[in-house]
Amino acid sequence: MPRHREEDDDVDEDYDGLELEEEEEEDEGGSRGGGSSRQKRGRSSFFDDYAEEDSQEEEDDDDEDYGSRRGGKGAKRKKFSAARFVDDIADQVDDDDEEEEDGDGEDGFIVDTGTDLPDERVDRRRYHDRGFDENDEDVDDLERRIQERFSRPQEDYDEEATDVEQQALLPSVRDPKLWMVKCAIGREREVAVCLMQKFIDRGSDLQIRSVVALDHLKNYIYVEADKEAHVKEAIKGMRNIYANQKILLVPIREMTDVLSVESKAIDLSRDTWVRMKIGTYKGDLAKVVDVDNVRQRVTVKLIPRIDLQALASKLDGREVAKKKAFVPPPRFMNIDEARELHIRVERRRDPMTGDYFENIGGMLFKDGFMYKTVSLKSIIAQNVTPTFDELEKFNKPSENGEGDFGGLSTLFANRKKGHFMKGDAVIVIKGDLKNLKGWVEKVDEETVLIRSGLKGLPDPLAVNEKELCKYFEPGNHVKVVSGTHEGATGMVVKVDQHVLILLSDTTKEHVRVFADHVVESSEVTTGVTKIGQFELHDLVLLDNLSFGVTIRLENEAFQVLKGNPDRPEVALVKLREIKCKLDRKISVQDRYKNVISVNDDVRIIEGPSKGKQGPVKHIYKGVLFIYDRHHLEHAGFICAKCTSCVVVGGSRSGANRNGGDSLSRFSNFKAPAPVPPSPRRFQRGGTGYNARGRGRGGRGGRDDSLLGTTVKIRLGPFKGYRGPVVEVKGDSVRVELEMKIVTVDRNAISDNVAVTTPSRDTSRYSMGSETPMHPSRTPLHPYMTPMRDSGATPFHDGMRTPMRDRAWNPYTPMSPPRDNWEEGNPGSWGTSPQYQPGSPPSRAYEAPTPGSGWASTPGGSYSDAGTPRDSGSAYANAPSPYLPSTPGQPMTPSSASYLPGTPGGQPMTPGTGLDVMSPVIGGDAEAWFMPDILVEIHKAGEDSEVGVIRDVSDGTCKVSLGSSGEGDTILALPSELEIVPPRKNDRVKIVGGQYRGSIGKLIGIDGSDGIVKIEDNLDVKILDLAILAKFVQP
Amino acid sequence: MGEVAAQIPTSFGQELRACLRCRLVKTYDQFRDSGCENCPFFKIDEDPERIVDVTTPNFNGTISMMDPRRSWAARWLRIGKFAPGCYALAVSETLSEDMQSLCQEERVQYIPPKRI
Repeated sequence: MPRHREEDDDVDEDYDGLELEEEEEEDEGGSRGGGSSRQKRGRSSFFDDYAEEDSQEEEDDDDEDYGSRRGGKGAKRKKFSAARFVDDIADQVDDDDEEEEDGDGEDGFIVDTGTDLPDERVDRRRYHDRGFDENDEDVDDLERRIQERFSRPQEDYDEEATDVEQQALLPSVRDPKLWMVKCAIGREREVAVCLMQKFIDRGSDLQIRSVVALDHLKNYIYVEADKEAHVKEAIKGMRNIYANQKILLVPIREMTDVLSVESKAIDLSRDTWVRMKIGTYKGDLAKVVDVDNVRQRVTVKLIPRIDLQALASKLDGREVAKKKAFVPPPRFMNIDEARELHIRVERRRDPMTGDYFENIGGMLFKDGFMYKTVSLKSIIAQNVTPTFDELEKFNKPSENGEGDFGGLSTLFANRKKGHFMKGDAVIVIKGDLKNLKGWVEKVDEETVLIRSGLKGLPDPLAVNEKELCKYFEPGNHVKVVSGTHEGATGMVVKVDQHVLILLSDTTKEHVRVFADHVVESSEVTTGVTKIGQFELHDLVLLDNLSFGVTIRLENEAFQVLKGNPDRPEVALVKLREIKCKLDRKISVQDRYKNVISVNDDVRIIEGPSKGKQGPVKHIYKGVLFIYDRHHLEHAGFICAKCTSCVVVGGSRSGANRNGGDSLSRFSNFKAPAPVPPSPRRFQRGGTGYNARGRGRGGRGGRDDSLLGTTVKIRLGPFKGYRGPVVEVKGDSVRVELEMKIVTVDRNAISDNVAVTTPSRDTSRYSMGSETPMHPSRTPLHPYMTPMRDSGATPFHDGMRTPMRDRAWNPYTPMSPPRDNWEEGNPGSWGTSPQYQPGSPPSRAYEAPTPGSGWASTPGGSYSDAGTPRDSGSAYANAPSPYLPSTPGQPMTPSSASYLPGTPGGQPMTPGTGLDVMSPVIGGDAEAWFMPDILVEIHKAGEDSEVGVIRDVSDGTCKVSLGSSGEGDTILALPSELEIVPPRKNDRVKIVGGQYRGSIGKLIGIDGSDGIVKIEDNLDVKILDLAILAKFVQP
Repeated sequence: MGEVAAQIPTSFGQELRACLRCRLVKTYDQFRDSGCENCPFFKIDEDPERIVDVTTPNFNGTISMMDPRRSWAARWLRIGKFAPGCYALAVSETLSEDMQSLCQEERVQYIPPKRI
């Protein structure tokens, strides 16, 4: 290649000169301190020289390949050298004759820059240089040997361009540097090209190596050169470069970033979801219809945002107001509507596709969609994940009713890496194997090996991940991992193709998500329930002085149910639009001038929500926010005027005794909240006041350990006041102060409660009953039972215990699942250990109440049984002043800590278990004991055993001992028996409710609810765990 | 300077295309008239139809490579062995299989662009 050689000599005088210089310097024994850049250049020229000579000798006949071969050499040498580097140095130190190795190392230095620290390199260079000094005459020989070594065909060079190899190319201090130069906006590429031209025209005058123009970086180009001066020289006189601007050096570690541009190699094909980047449709979802790669244009269909009125006037030639203050909402084009406005609609056939389009003023429409051809640059194709709503909208006009989310498969294009994991249940959605279900065995890049378990099919089966979708069944507990509901957990209640309907753990609302966006998880998160200082279900004051309850969290925003009693009004409110949280404790008066405080139960007696009932959660400006868990909208919150409501505390028993009025329909046995009727209320005698009186009478004497004692109030506005306690109710006591009776928190009084009397216990009992949420309180019960036996009315006792027992039950079975949760999410369940100990006692509790004959409980009695419902209000006031006096009871730690962490701690949960079971209670004559269920037998004075009920007659059960009923048969009273709570996947028998007697499979447990697949009809039902018993095949 | 530079693009806009193998950037017309300097085996000048097969307008970033032998950037981008000229930093398409096998026949390296 003589031509090149010549050119080199002519053009690059500097080059040879440098080489000479370098050799001279080497003679000086490698003691070159400062001239690092010169050195560097010397080095590289040296290298180049070799390389060039290699090429010359090998490839004289092949001019074309000249360039590539040379580069190839360099890379190859580098490979060799990297391996030998270490030896290399060692050898050099004590044996300078290792010329060949040296040479090799030398090359390695130059190319293999990235692997070493700069300083080290300098050191090594010194060794090197010495080596060269002493063996100068061998250079030719060295060259020859190198040529021999590398004169293999060049194909084997960079056969695999792996990342590792790329690492070896990282820049070093001896490489040219990158300089950032400011240029005119939009001229970046032009400047780069002009500099190239200049270089060609001027030859080696310009000592820059390259110029980089990035598409995404405006206003700057990068120039690769050794010295800033070279850059300045090169850009001198360039039109679009601001020469007087500062030239910035790119730090060496950022150099690769400059050159690492993402190749926008995304398959933009039909049916890909994209988003518009600019204009009216900015941010809108669109679907690719056609791609013209040559012209860089893409045809998309999207939902038009067209103001037909404006369009009509525009087409008429009338003036259209220029100010486009608003963007018309997306709406499908209605051609008839357009015609009515006298807009000319042409129907044309597209010659290419044969489809008909309506052409309105140059815009094409079909099926209501607008078809738009835009530049590829004006759409975003990467990481487009349409939201559920968007897709739903997009599907509307197709009206095929299938709900098949058309380009669903394209959704998968944006899957994250590691989407599928071993063990995932999947379903094939495409190809011959469509609808085949299986489990992921192994994931290998895009190929997923699945195990189908089907005969005749190879196992495992390799399927492209694009053809797979995750598969879930109702009852699965899942966590949403992407999309708008990310982070939420819930139970799958319905599977509709690739769409799952979840019952969210947090909101108890139905959430629709793509199967692809969830993973199975036993974790129960409450999701995000807090933004800033605001939490879900807070009462907040908004900017415009309206107020409302936050009922749902979205991205950086709350859905707020406004305090509008006339109709439910929900607003989406950004965090900054919320002024403050309102948590003042206010009391208002109901229609009958009874006092309503927070947590009181009220019934709405007029207005749109008439008949609803629940505890008051917030009160503001005479508006109540009532929480009714049967109210499925607005997270269960109902807004009502206080004057439209009545306090229902006292009315329970009366109402229920009458049977089946609105109360029982709503099955809200909510007890009066801590506010007991005041004397005034007494006199006025609101609804069912008397009934309440009677109800109280029943329990009467029990609550009164404090009654009559004089106490001093420690906290609150009445701090320091003294007075006799006139009433004790839950965590509140009413204290008469100078003829004034006020309500204060129980914590807020300093009573002389150190008394521990049996009667105390009784009162505790009532408290306990009000707070079923605190399982650890149950230990109390044993000792009150005798007390009750003696003191309380039999009537009372009889119906109460079993009820309670039931009431407790829902919680008992919760313990095992809790364990699972703990596994799934160790961190979040710190409280469970405390919780669990509580459960067994609840069982123990029922033991000492034999023969209470609860089964005969008259219908009316369940009003009292409703007491547990007090929990709704009481549990919030967990700590009680009684605690100190009842040492050794685990209740406080657990009850306090229980709330935040455990799912049961969610406000709705206390109700859950109890409410669901209320029908059972209502139909109280119904006995839960049935044949073929597994029970635990607690006979007085004996250890408990498990057995299977074999026969029931006259209220006595024949029970076969042993978990499968293989043991002796004994007789037992139902009161001595307790259902053994079934576990997930157990076969269960439903012992209550309308499905009583049915057998099913417990496919999931959600708090106190069990999800049961009934065997007869395969229906999936959500039933209270309390009415589920483990079924044992006779 | 070691060698003859490739043609320099005559414009800077949409009509630029990049060779799918070597990433050389030129205008459509330039490719049609003189093919690709680094990849003569594509014989674009003989069969202009091939332009669309072996070049793409779909590339990202340009680098004017003055001195590929001594440029770090060239080495990093693995264009150090090509002729000086303007190159794309990344192309977004892959050579068709036909063309890839052509490369193999010609015993030249083809590295498909890395997918993200």
